Amino acid sequence: MSVLSRENSSRLLWLGRYSERVYTTLRYFADIFDAMIDKTLPGVFESKEEFSARFCFDEGDESSVYSSLIRAYDNAIELREELGSDTFSYIQLAVYEMNKAKNSPAPLLQLQRVIDNIAAFWGMVDDRIEDEHARSIIKLGKRIERVDLYARMRAGRNELVREIRRLTHRIPQTGLTYDEEAVRRLNVLASEEIMNYPAIIAEAASLLG
Amino acid sequence: MALSEELYKYSGSVNEQLARYGVKFGIYKNGVFNEQLFPFDMIPRVIGQEEFLRLERGLKQRVNALNEFIKDIYSGRKILADGVIAEEFVYSGSGYLVQCDGVSPPGGIYPHISGIDLVQAQDGSWYILEDNLRIPSGASYPMIARELCRRSFPEEFAKHRIEDNRNYADLLCRTMNYVNTGGLNVILTPGRYNAAYFEHSYFAEKTGAHLVTCEDLFVEDEYLYFRDYSGRRERVGAVYRRISDEYIDPVNFNRESLIGIPHIFDVYRKGNTALLNAPGNGAADDKGIYYFVPRMIKYYLGEEPILNNAPTYLPYYEADMSYVLANFDNLVLKDVAEAGGYGVVFGSKLTSEQKAGFLDMLKAEPRRFIAQEVIDFRDIEIYDGGGTVPRKADLRAFVLMSDEPVVWKSGLTRFSRRPDSFIVNSSQGGGFKDTWVMTED
Repeated sequence: MSVLSRENSSRLLWLGRYSERVYTTLRYFADIFDAMIDKTLPGVFESKEEFSARFCFDEGDESSVYSSLIRAYDNAIELREELGSDTFSYIQLAVYEMNKAKNSPAPLLQLQRVIDNIAAFWGMVDDRIEDEHARSIIKLGKRIERVDLYARMRAGRNELVREIRRLTHRIPQTGLTYDEEAVRRLNVLASEEIMNYPAIIAEAASLLG
Repeated sequence: MALSEELYKYSGSVNEQLARYGVKFGIYKNGVFNEQLFPFDMIPRVIGQEEFLRLERGLKQRVNALNEFIKDIYSGRKILADGVIAEEFVYSGSGYLVQCDGVSPPGGIYPHISGIDLVQAQDGSWYILEDNLRIPSGASYPMIARELCRRSFPEEFAKHRIEDNRNYADLLCRTMNYVNTGGLNVILTPGRYNAAYFEHSYFAEKTGAHLVTCEDLFVEDEYLYFRDYSGRRERVGAVYRRISDEYIDPVNFNRESLIGIPHIFDVYRKGNTALLNAPGNGAADDKGIYYFVPRMIKYYLGEEPILNNAPTYLPYYEADMSYVLANFDNLVLKDVAEAGGYGVVFGSKLTSEQKAGFLDMLKAEPRRFIAQEVIDFRDIEIYDGGGTVPRKADLRAFVLMSDEPVVWKSGLTRFSRRPDSFIVNSSQGGGFKDTWVMTED
């Protein structure tokens, strides 16, 4: 087992979270953008162009996909030693593709390449990060983020329960100190017929204290 | 309708996307299996709302009549008793299966998925060229192409009001559910080396039905089951089978079939599973029977046909044979047993020696051929890299039957890539286009 600093363990966790945020929000974005080709959807965006510009590419908005990707990049660049250059390169490529997509009249085509690079990044994580704890920590970040996003987007019960199971299965493999009681409560929430989305979000956030 | 010239710019990227997703068809050449990309042309065929409504009415009418015909010839055979169709045309066709006599399929539906091939003449009128009621394929291609086109040039879709054709899987699912006798929906494929394997797997993904081969299914006590990896079994209520009649059950049909499921036909006969499309449908889509479809419409529905057949002659009848011999050079002759653009002969293109040989064959086996006037069908534009050029094209419309027939608001437009050819089939080098049905004129 390699020596993993506290700071790098935190970076791994957040690299996992931000990469997942980019991946999942882009997939949702693609569905909504497609629907907006035919009609304007009631909400905060008046057109698909505005939706694309603000939701995806607004550098000044901390919640845009672009900002999430840059945060993933900021963590990744300081983890080259843990990740390896080949693994890191897929985050770098995703940033290049994101910048190209910004001015494209067909953003979904370019953004597909961002998604491709994130998917390849996860393949490299599995293949190249030898240390089991390090690998589990970055994957835990992904799992926490996915549960959080799915709950916020009010995903269907089956989908959300599946993701909660994956999260609670992953956490003991990380070697991190975590709130076992929160894991138990999350499992109870997953067994309920009606999903209590706010409670699931809160419990997922409290797992690591 | 004015389409943007910008469309052309995306030709490469859409074809790249189609390659990325493995949108291919298989073809055997000299005994070797190859997978090929199906060339896609960016310029859609556009059908206005009014025009489509007429097509829709005509297609529903035709499929309803064909359903009645199949039901009739496997039960009371009234149409034969009344002399509307000559018996020998039904019984001598390879698609008629004596095993289907007296069998009623779930829901009384025979052609669950019909692929009706049409062409448009220069004056804009549509002609039916062929009914495909066995295993018509091709809907998956415009379905995925639409998805990729919307990603590639969203502006064009925002500008025009086009029916969304990505609902094909929902229609298919609805059809399977309607006839399901209890249990899983499955799509039965001969396997990965089938020409249409992409379509089988794509439909499975999009409908949620399980993609299975014969090894996954078995019959016990007159029910059909799916066996999973752990040996657990689950009843199957509907089989969208992409295996032809003769190979689907080695006990009831071709004994040498290695891809069939023994006794599956017995389960179907008992009403314990649905087979889509119903076995025996070939009795109604034989090229010879095509001649009689307008009569069927009048006979069963008491209506005039809304859509016309291409003018067709049956050399089997003496008067038609005389016409064919006198006008041979102006006709196209089709071998009723062939498909995929094979067995098609243009009288004008034969040498005198070939013509003599062909006429001998025609006189010896008149039941084997039909003759049709060559319809000067309307060219449609394709983009060939430097600009647009005209090419011959047909349209395969899909009709899905559940409680009522539903015409898919799109279709597979196939075109010939050679300037002098009328043959549009993918197996012979043709390409395809999306078909846009407009929601307003």
